[in-house]
Amino acid sequence: MLFLAGCVPASYRLFHPNGPIANLELRSTIVDVAVMLVIILPVAVLICVFMWRYRKSANAAYDPHWSHSLTLEILVWAVPLVTVAVLAFFSYETTLAVNPYGPAVLGGADAAPKVRMASVAPAMPGMVMQTPDPSPAGPLQIDVITTDWQWFFIYPQLHIATIDELVVPQGRDVEFHMTSATVVNDFFVPELVPMMDVMPGMQTLDMFRAKNTGTYEGFSADFSGAGFAWMQFAARVVTPQDYAGWVSSVQASPDHLSYADFERLAQTTINIGAKPSYFSAVQDGLLAHVYDEVRNGKVYPVPDNLTETMTANATN
Amino acid sequence: MDVFVKPGGDVPPLWYYGHDDHDQIATKTFGFWLYMLSDALIFAGLFAAYAVLDQPMNMAGGPTAAQIVHPVAAFWQTMAVMTSVLAYSLATVALKTGNKAGVLLGMIVAFVLGLAFIGLELNDFANLMAQGITPDRSGFLSAFFVLIASHGLHMVFGLLWMFVLMIQCLRSGFSQDIVSRLLNLRMFWQFQASVWVCVYVFIYLRGAA
Amino acid sequence: MPVHLQGAWSLLFGRLTLSAIPYDSGILIGAFAFSAIAGLAIVIPTIYYGKVGYLFREWLTTVDHKKIGVMYILLGLVMMFRGFADGFMIRTQQVMADGPHSPGYMGSLHGYLPPFHFDQIYSSHGTIMILFAVTPILTGLGNIVVPLQIGARDMAFPVMNAISLWLTAVGAALVMASLFIGTFSDAGWVGLAPLTELPYSPGVGVDYWMWAIQISSIGTTLNAINIIATIVGMRAPGMTWGRIPIFTWTTLSTNIIGLTAFPVLGVALALLGADRYLGTHFYTAGQGGNLMLYTDLFWIWGHPEVYFLVLPAFGVISEVIPTFSEKPLFGYFTMVAATFAIAGVSWAVWLHHFFTMGAGPYVNTFFSVATMLVGIPTGVKVFNWLFTLYRGRLTYDTPMLWALGALFLLLVGGLTGMMLAVPAIDYTVHNSVFVIAHFHCMVLLIAYAIFAAVAYWFPKVFGFKLDERSGKLFFATFSLGTTLTFVAMFALGFQGETRRLDYLFDPQWKPLLIVEEIGIFLYCASCYYFAKMLYVSIRDRAKNKVGADPWHSSRTLEWLTHSPVPYYNFAVMPQVNALDELAWRRERGVHEVGPDHYEPIHMPKNSVIPLIIGVFAFGFGFGMVWRIWWMAAISLLVIIATIIIRSFIRSPGYEISAAELAQMEARDEAVGILSDSEGQTLGVEAKA
Repeated sequence: MLFLAGCVPASYRLFHPNGPIANLELRSTIVDVAVMLVIILPVAVLICVFMWRYRKSANAAYDPHWSHSLTLEILVWAVPLVTVAVLAFFSYETTLAVNPYGPAVLGGADAAPKVRMASVAPAMPGMVMQTPDPSPAGPLQIDVITTDWQWFFIYPQLHIATIDELVVPQGRDVEFHMTSATVVNDFFVPELVPMMDVMPGMQTLDMFRAKNTGTYEGFSADFSGAGFAWMQFAARVVTPQDYAGWVSSVQASPDHLSYADFERLAQTTINIGAKPSYFSAVQDGLLAHVYDEVRNGKVYPVPDNLTETMTANATN
Repeated sequence: MDVFVKPGGDVPPLWYYGHDDHDQIATKTFGFWLYMLSDALIFAGLFAAYAVLDQPMNMAGGPTAAQIVHPVAAFWQTMAVMTSVLAYSLATVALKTGNKAGVLLGMIVAFVLGLAFIGLELNDFANLMAQGITPDRSGFLSAFFVLIASHGLHMVFGLLWMFVLMIQCLRSGFSQDIVSRLLNLRMFWQFQASVWVCVYVFIYLRGAA
Repeated sequence: MPVHLQGAWSLLFGRLTLSAIPYDSGILIGAFAFSAIAGLAIVIPTIYYGKVGYLFREWLTTVDHKKIGVMYILLGLVMMFRGFADGFMIRTQQVMADGPHSPGYMGSLHGYLPPFHFDQIYSSHGTIMILFAVTPILTGLGNIVVPLQIGARDMAFPVMNAISLWLTAVGAALVMASLFIGTFSDAGWVGLAPLTELPYSPGVGVDYWMWAIQISSIGTTLNAINIIATIVGMRAPGMTWGRIPIFTWTTLSTNIIGLTAFPVLGVALALLGADRYLGTHFYTAGQGGNLMLYTDLFWIWGHPEVYFLVLPAFGVISEVIPTFSEKPLFGYFTMVAATFAIAGVSWAVWLHHFFTMGAGPYVNTFFSVATMLVGIPTGVKVFNWLFTLYRGRLTYDTPMLWALGALFLLLVGGLTGMMLAVPAIDYTVHNSVFVIAHFHCMVLLIAYAIFAAVAYWFPKVFGFKLDERSGKLFFATFSLGTTLTFVAMFALGFQGETRRLDYLFDPQWKPLLIVEEIGIFLYCASCYYFAKMLYVSIRDRAKNKVGADPWHSSRTLEWLTHSPVPYYNFAVMPQVNALDELAWRRERGVHEVGPDHYEPIHMPKNSVIPLIIGVFAFGFGFGMVWRIWWMAAISLLVIIATIIIRSFIRSPGYEISAAELAQMEARDEAVGILSDSEGQTLGVEAKA
């Protein structure tokens, strides 16, 4: 893996994982491909060999009736069966290891506080949001809300929020609670965080821990409408000191974020260039509020036939 | 008649001169069974949708199943369907003896009982809507109305079919085509009755419990 | 209950206004001009040469399974070209719109397509390729080949067969209509909920998408009933279950999938329709809806649909490889078992399309393992094909090249499929172009099998072979295009490029995007060779004329009768004695022994009913899309009335007398697909 990271350009984002989860995912990819190649390479080579050896003009051995062999037929079932059995067990282990609701590599269910786990039954809508655990020792809580077409990152423990910029300290577990105000998006920072859908009227979780500092490109991976291609955000992993400095700078921001502000900002917007905004004095339980409103039927209608500029002009 | 062409030696026959023994009624009936299988999958999808949307969070503050279903009132619908199927089955018993009057009588009774079923269902819907309980009120009510109405549409379709068949029986008696249609309609009618039983148990009885 | 809509609505025209015609978009005007010219190029000669009556009598109202199959395949190929044009536009937009400094043209910030237009194009690309290109072509193949392989004179329900065709054509026509009247869906070919709900898709695009699929999938379901009933009930004497050719087996399994899966799609779309037309809350985020319900229902159809397409492709490969290896398929029984194993498992894997939707780890693991199980029978198939090659006498005609090419695509698709089946890996590439490259490998495998099948069975249907030289160039350019485009796409997946982007933020992707663009130009070259192949083949048809068994090593029943196949298929029913009946007869030297006398046979009459139903189904779809209620209602009533009226008309069909049969069989070429029932001929036969 070090070899990969060393010789593959940085643009191959998935080969430059940062942190235990992304690392394990890359390792899974490599193991899975290796196991499959043990079968597939010989088959590919044999096909080529047979294609050459048994071409008509070669006058090689010809057996016009050979179409059955019990040994071979048992073998052709057994080989894929064993391969699949191995990979199935591998899949089971790695799925638990990177499970977004309490990844084993981050300490499993212990990593995610029990109360919060209970609040997010997998993909079940309508569950009630618990008050965030404010203890500074636990994971850093970040609430993620997507709109058409921006990312709101809310730090409920710190009462700050940003649009289209995510800043986290290195070495600390980060836990995302996510919901959408409009349609489904998919939260993704290739080097850091596995993909997880962000859905309206539902809540999902995602977790990660970054080992090194760095700046990455985060974006939405699931199509959400005309402005989808502009849904990038900067994801910065900084040292704890820099993080503290950044937090206090955001806390000094003159812009506040109440639900009323959110409703205004959540109107259809294409944020070309992903210019960040910062908010202090963020309303408590904003994510839960947005979630409840959406469950009660709140929508943010989108005009038909959008172009980038039309939207940009209409709302900014 | 069954003559095989033998080219001689130990080669078995190559061509077949027998009658085309593909049974038309059997093929049609088999095809109809396949159609009902796909129809059953439609209902499976609708029941699945109902099961998913019959959760507290899908009421959206609107009424629950317990507040809108009346198993006793719907029992009369069940009776209408069941007796209609019985009448139709008696019609096909009469078909065995070629008793045209018996077939028509059975079908008329089945038709009237089917109409009664539709009438009761429309009445039930009208009552609910008069109370403001409409399909656009909540996810649960959407599933409730659409599932029951889908079954109702099938029943209406069956009644139309029955009506056309009655005319055809009157006009041309029991030709092969008409007999196969009569038998397929019997399957269809019984199938819709069994779907109604599922609706009754799953929505009405379970909902009221 | 009526839903509040943005924009105007009138009783006479519904939502339709003049502004729905995109006369201000150069691309659409061009597309319209191209389609109009192509259409006129067919219509004008038809009228000029006085062939309108022929076209109507012999094709539009036909109930002959071969003609219906040919029309399915023509429809599919035309739509495949349209889908390819969409693909070309997608690739070109992406290579142009890479990086924040990339230039914009024609009112777009980057590239030449504004988002709403790009989104329609990628949505229609997927919808068309899956449902209106590959599905009709495979359905058409099944229509042509299955009755011949099992020794039947027609399908079980010939008129219903024609209805299936016209309903599929109506779906395709609605998609094409959306180009010029209104817009197509911009919510993906899968129709992402709640993006397809009215607040987020207020236009008619989603309605076009929904009704096109809904109407055509009714056709597909009816066709599935027809094919299953045909295979079960219409086999020639002696064709026991153990002697059914492998392509027929795969078609049977595929249509069992189709029969059980398409109704679920119907429900998924009908509930979406209820949301959009009646204001219900099935898939809305609020008011008690559940958008996961849509995702589940859609993929409960969607994944079986993948196997619905891939199994007949496997069947084609299993027919072509033995023929060009001059030996029987290895492991016939395991092959059949593997086919049904894939069909069975296909029902239990749908959730792998949304591992990232937040299901728990145990649910994900279940579907991950179920997905991997598909790999076992698929692996068996690959091994069996491999052993079929072993000790064969391989010749590399075009069908064989396509079949072997498909094998390599299956290896790549299988490798990447096994990666995607592991949730831990899927989390990193789920919505990336890696997935796109993976399923294009699988879908292109199907396309390869289709081109193999077209080259393989073309002489059977038309009586002359396709040109080998341009056929091989077609294969070469197509394969090179595939390699360049999709190897680059796999790499871009690892670079993190996600799907459906009309603007790409990372300029570092540019080199690989250019490689993809070169690949797409190679595909353009392959289109040229495809057209050339058709042109040269038709031009030299007299030279390339073939007998009953053009490949001299085919094994199954369809090669026993004349090429082109007469409209009654077999003058006398063959008595089946073995699996691979023709190979069995060839070994005994009796493959050219014909029947010694003829007996009258009974054939179904052509019918105008399917065409009427098709025309009014279009009226219904169009009326519903634009909410022109009177048009939809009248169309629906006419369809119901037509069916009722038809049930009053007894159509006894007609008889071909023994003398007529003997006369037709005695000619050098039998009465083929291009001739009409009076023996008037066009094309090849005319020259004889």
